[in-house]
Amino acid sequence: MLDYTFPTLFSTPHVLIAQEAAASNEGFDILTLLNQALNGIGIVGILLLTGLGLAITFGVMRIINLAHGEFIMLGAYVTFVFQDAFDLDLLMTIPLAFLITAFIGAVVEITIIRRLYGHPLETLLATWGLSIVLQGVVKLIFTAQLKYVKAPAYLSGNLPLVSDDSGAAVVAISYYRLFIVGVALALLGLTLYLFYGTSWGRQIRAVTQNRDMAKCLGVNTKLVDMGTFAYGCGLAGVAGSVISALKSVAPPMGQDYLVDAWMVVVTGGVDKLIGILAGSLLIGEANAIIAFMLNDPLARVIVLGAVIILIRYRPEGLFTVQKRV
Amino acid sequence: MTNIVMGYKQSTVPHKLVIVSGISLLVFIILPFTINSFQLSLMSKLLLFGTLGVSLDLVWGFTGILSFAHGVFFTLGGYASAYYLKLNLSAASNTYGGELPDFMVWNGLEKLPWFIAPLKYFPVALVATIAVPALFAYIIGYFIFRSKVSGVYITIITIAISSALTTFFVSQQAYTGGTNGITDVSSLRLFGVQLTALGLYFLILAYAAFVIALSWSLTQSNFGLILRSINENEQRISFLGYDVAQFKIFIWTLSAAIAGMAGGLFVPLNRFISPVYLAVAFGTQVVIWVAIGGRGTLVGPLIAAILLGQVQNYAEKVTQDWQLVVGILLLVVVLFLPNGLMSLLPKRASLKNLSKPKPLPVTVLTKK
Repeated sequence: MLDYTFPTLFSTPHVLIAQEAAASNEGFDILTLLNQALNGIGIVGILLLTGLGLAITFGVMRIINLAHGEFIMLGAYVTFVFQDAFDLDLLMTIPLAFLITAFIGAVVEITIIRRLYGHPLETLLATWGLSIVLQGVVKLIFTAQLKYVKAPAYLSGNLPLVSDDSGAAVVAISYYRLFIVGVALALLGLTLYLFYGTSWGRQIRAVTQNRDMAKCLGVNTKLVDMGTFAYGCGLAGVAGSVISALKSVAPPMGQDYLVDAWMVVVTGGVDKLIGILAGSLLIGEANAIIAFMLNDPLARVIVLGAVIILIRYRPEGLFTVQKRV
Repeated sequence: MTNIVMGYKQSTVPHKLVIVSGISLLVFIILPFTINSFQLSLMSKLLLFGTLGVSLDLVWGFTGILSFAHGVFFTLGGYASAYYLKLNLSAASNTYGGELPDFMVWNGLEKLPWFIAPLKYFPVALVATIAVPALFAYIIGYFIFRSKVSGVYITIITIAISSALTTFFVSQQAYTGGTNGITDVSSLRLFGVQLTALGLYFLILAYAAFVIALSWSLTQSNFGLILRSINENEQRISFLGYDVAQFKIFIWTLSAAIAGMAGGLFVPLNRFISPVYLAVAFGTQVVIWVAIGGRGTLVGPLIAAILLGQVQNYAEKVTQDWQLVVGILLLVVVLFLPNGLMSLLPKRASLKNLSKPKPLPVTVLTKK
């Protein structure tokens, strides 16, 4: 339980390279800053992906899900298994990751979460227990060894944006990071459509606003709860699947993403899904820019501190209209 | 011990409680003579962890503030005491002979930083062990309790604090020793006498007993009654004219001071302190002890810490996956025993039941 891993989300090689460049150039360098900002876009994509599932389980359903990181980890393992056993392309494993983690999420909802609605602190404890159990089970099956997932060949390489006289790219963003941003935005769009454009979404919103009234009107609240939780977990699975190619896959990997996902959801505002986009943009870019000026760990400390201050003054998040109770 | 309730004296220590606590204290006093040295240091450690659990129980069990940051207070106290022990290494055992600890030399520091230098002196270090975590907690507490931040968000803030501070301590290698923390500290000398493992055990036992007695009398007082009422209905208590935030800040700061001192005693036992104890994972473990032991029972967290520690000790010999056992146990407790292991005791034997103050006569309440 005392396994300690340094939060690695932000310490990507790109950041380090950019830092070295900044150190050698002595002073303000607009190109490095631009690179850093683009790198920030990559972080934004990851934050958006990891925060989206949580935005549904916490923002919509009000479940304090501390096992969210473990669903990300499960998604990564699904990708690893299918790539290892069947040599499937990473893109092919994404829907499988969604289905499998959503199924596990549904089972968890039926066995654990369902008994705890209305007891936020109990949910928090139970999901933490669940996260320990999921990590333990995965460790039993796959051992604690690091696993690696290959990104497809057509997503490797960098997209050059600015090049110097000799033609070498000075400002570039990797295709894979663009791909992450694309997937994240697509999922956000899909989720928005599902919630605000379909009858299922209307039912979800009805249940979360007034459970008893929805039940009276013939909505199967149990089914809606299960479906929503499973969908949130499925999104975490997709996040894990996409992230797996960036980092090694290991049982405790989910912990790295949990705190950041929470910060995104809290910053963005828990009521509006679109707030997640704003929250991840703000945190991702602030992190990249501060890392450019100071250094990586300090940037993380400053951003976390800023989020804490934000919660103090606007607990509902930046982008929620304050309501009268 | 008496408890003055609006001018009426009321005896609140039942004889049964005195007997039970006397016997358990006796067991803990005899215990070190019956176990080997490994078990002795393990039990000392678990007593400290249990004390840390009791400090969290004060804020979570009684006041309803769930904090994942109690590991942070523990570790801040630990660092204060680790600096003291490190700076007092004899010149012979100090790798570089000089005044500077080894990790500072490695990281290119040439002078002792001004904020660490005073920790060389015992009184300063002792005060810092308690005051630094308490001050840190006071600032956080003032910040969050004086606003409309509600239950779950406080918990999220404590997670963020724990995560941010871990990153900070790891990054400031020259001052904190980075990921390794402060290692190879000297052993504790009190009044010129070297403390043996047995001496340390009794010191820790005395501290644990003191903390439990203090917390118990605190929660039995009117103050404790208000804390419990805040837990049950915060709004009503504030309508009655109590400054809820003030009570929360006080108990939060006190609890951090207790946790800090536990951390301070942990270092001479453990011989090192590192950011592992700052991380969210350790803070969670404290929460697990309280949850499994039983919220609001005070001795529950202590018993749970000792039980889980021993389970881990034996499970580690059989399998690496003792964590799985803890996770399942936590799930079972949350789902089927929401009041923790202490609720398994028969009602009449339950300490919580014994220690509940008798309802006041109606006349007392209506007077004035």
